[in-house]
Amino acid sequence: MASVRPGAERRRGGEAEGPDGGWGWVLVAALFVSTSLVFGLMRGLGVFFVEFVQYFEESAQAISWISSTGLAAQQFFSPLGAALSNAYDTRLVVMAGGCLAGFGFILASQATCLLHLYLTMGLISGLGWGLVFTPMVATVMASFTRRRTFALGLAFSSIGLASFTFNPLFQFLVETYAWRGALLILGGLSLNIVPCGALIRSRRRPKRPAKADAEGGSPCGGVLRRVASYLELSLLCERPYLTYTLAITFLNVGYFVPYVHLVAHSRHAGFSEYQAAFVVSAAGVTDILGRLASGWFSDLGRFRLIHLLSVWTALAGLFIALLPVSTLWGSYAGLVAVSLLYGFCAGALTSLAFTVVPTVAGAERVMGALGLVQLIESCAGLLGTPLSGLLRDVTGDYLASFVVSGSFLILSTLTMATLPHYFSRTDPPLPPNAEARRLSSETERMNATH
Amino acid sequence: MMQASWMLLLLAWGGHANTKTVGQTLPPVEPDVHLLADVRSVVLQGKSHTDKVDVPGPMNLTLQCTWTANGNKTLNVTGYWLKDGRDIDNSHVTLRLENQQVHLKRTFLIKNEESLGRYSCMFGNEAKADFILAVPHISDVRDKPVVSYVGDSVVLACKVDDRKPEPKTWLWFRANGTDKEQITTVAEPQKYQIKNAGKATKLHVHNLTRDDSGLFYCAAVFTIGTAVSHLELKVITIYEPLKPFVTIVLEVLILVTAILLFERGQSKKSQVQEASEKEVANAEPPATNAEPPAINVEPPTSTSSATPSGESNGLEKSSSARQRKS
Repeated sequence: MASVRPGAERRRGGEAEGPDGGWGWVLVAALFVSTSLVFGLMRGLGVFFVEFVQYFEESAQAISWISSTGLAAQQFFSPLGAALSNAYDTRLVVMAGGCLAGFGFILASQATCLLHLYLTMGLISGLGWGLVFTPMVATVMASFTRRRTFALGLAFSSIGLASFTFNPLFQFLVETYAWRGALLILGGLSLNIVPCGALIRSRRRPKRPAKADAEGGSPCGGVLRRVASYLELSLLCERPYLTYTLAITFLNVGYFVPYVHLVAHSRHAGFSEYQAAFVVSAAGVTDILGRLASGWFSDLGRFRLIHLLSVWTALAGLFIALLPVSTLWGSYAGLVAVSLLYGFCAGALTSLAFTVVPTVAGAERVMGALGLVQLIESCAGLLGTPLSGLLRDVTGDYLASFVVSGSFLILSTLTMATLPHYFSRTDPPLPPNAEARRLSSETERMNATH
Repeated sequence: MMQASWMLLLLAWGGHANTKTVGQTLPPVEPDVHLLADVRSVVLQGKSHTDKVDVPGPMNLTLQCTWTANGNKTLNVTGYWLKDGRDIDNSHVTLRLENQQVHLKRTFLIKNEESLGRYSCMFGNEAKADFILAVPHISDVRDKPVVSYVGDSVVLACKVDDRKPEPKTWLWFRANGTDKEQITTVAEPQKYQIKNAGKATKLHVHNLTRDDSGLFYCAAVFTIGTAVSHLELKVITIYEPLKPFVTIVLEVLILVTAILLFERGQSKKSQVQEASEKEVANAEPPATNAEPPAINVEPPTSTSSATPSGESNGLEKSSSARQRKS
């Protein structure tokens, strides 16, 4: 057994010497494809809405619940995906998730009423996506130590690229095969998550369940304890993790508002459809650049990840609040400039939001930590966009909604500042039992990879 | 003034005059209180201008043109009206430029489909403005065909723009060879359903078959005329999208199999490596086993079970104790 010197972990990220590259890059490619098939797909569903409104003769709001259900299901089932990956094999969980995601869309192609779509495109595919995303992200994070943020940024850039390519593709599919055929083909495309999951190397089950059993007690209690350990529910009792989750929740309230309302705001300010669409596309491009640049810069190790995350979040909040201000003077160049800056900051903060998690929760609890944070941030997503819509309806323009969204991001930064040891130059020590478990599982993993 | 003298001449001739039609004679303008009235005006910026006017029903339409002469022209200009390129009688007026601006105004009675067309106000040869009077157009439906499946139902929709007037009713037609055949819900109530809602109409077609493919026409009926637009329906079977779907599923299966086989090959290689490493390790003298145990071994006499040879028992005990410790 290798001796792990205590001093070696006090590096940025708190990791011992770990893997960095090699098969990890293959997993990055797998995550790239999976993320595009989960979130890129979700973003491209707008093409179907027009068809659904006409075919089912329902209101636009009823149709928009389909994608809300899908996203909510993905976030809700994330802890389940994390727990199953902790208990069993990540590879099987992801492959099962891919099958479910594809199956949901295949079933949806046979829908005869709106309820069918909620259950298939929403619930079943959402469950599948939940089983895919969190385990894959945690696996990629476990495969890197020093290049973590860049690896994630590279993988997440697929979302922006997918939006570019999927929109015309889906439009073509709907025009050629109608929505039923298009959904069938999308189901097939979603099945491509399965080979991505197959690329994850099987790892032997960690010894943690044995420790839980050794504590004795009734069989019921043993199962509950085991489930709780798979879900990492102990995290909910730790203040740093709760603070971080609260910060991410605030972030999510404001983060999506520009994506939803930027086009409407540009049209409202008097710009044409093409000008508005260009603004959104330009923000999308800088989003991708921001992810890559921030990933590369964060991994240089000059600053703590939490500091970088705070800076990007605060800047993004500032630029969101500036968006309506830039159109007050009727200046298109101003709107484009602020949108570009917003896009860059928004992209920059996404991968950091994930890589900060090991510094808060400890490396081997990342899987469960990610699952829980997704679940908790789902309510933020449900709150944020309707709130901004409500503000717009009440006040008549988007000034109030953007300013409120921006202030939620600034609030998120302030919340992050309350994390313990925020103002120190190095990462804080992890809580004691987390420390011991990390040591034991690090050595387990090193043995298992032979 | 000219109009009055012409009418006097007619009366003088006692109605026997042979009126040669030079250009067109339009009925005298008598404002009918039952008819709608509307005004359209145009301020000419350049040499010409075109305006489209939607006329849903008979009405009195007043058209006005204002032209600003550029340059310092103090000449008089002759203003007159054309319909579909032909002069309208009694429309020639000599205008004097006041502050470089001239106005032309005339009220037209639009009573039927022949009254529609292109009305032009002319300022000599200097400038003109066209008013195209027509039945309101149906909004552009997409030129790509509507696709649906055998056994499924489809909704075909037509609508006029919100800003345009509402048609009296909507009618639907099917292309039958070169003819158009009207679709009535009375004949086949299970097949067709028409839902009219003011400015929009929807045709529901159920139990689609391949024969239902083709052109459908929607007609917006206004008092003064009908506007027609067409939609193409394409009915396909489930096998159409099934082909790319099966291709993708095959590709997925091939990838998964390839990945799993590749990994099995890799692990076999590493297993062979491990086995050879183990052999090398076992070939060394078992120095570790000869190490004295870290703890004191209890003397064999303290155990309850009798053992034949104390030495081996001691060794066994020491090794088991060592195992227990680690």
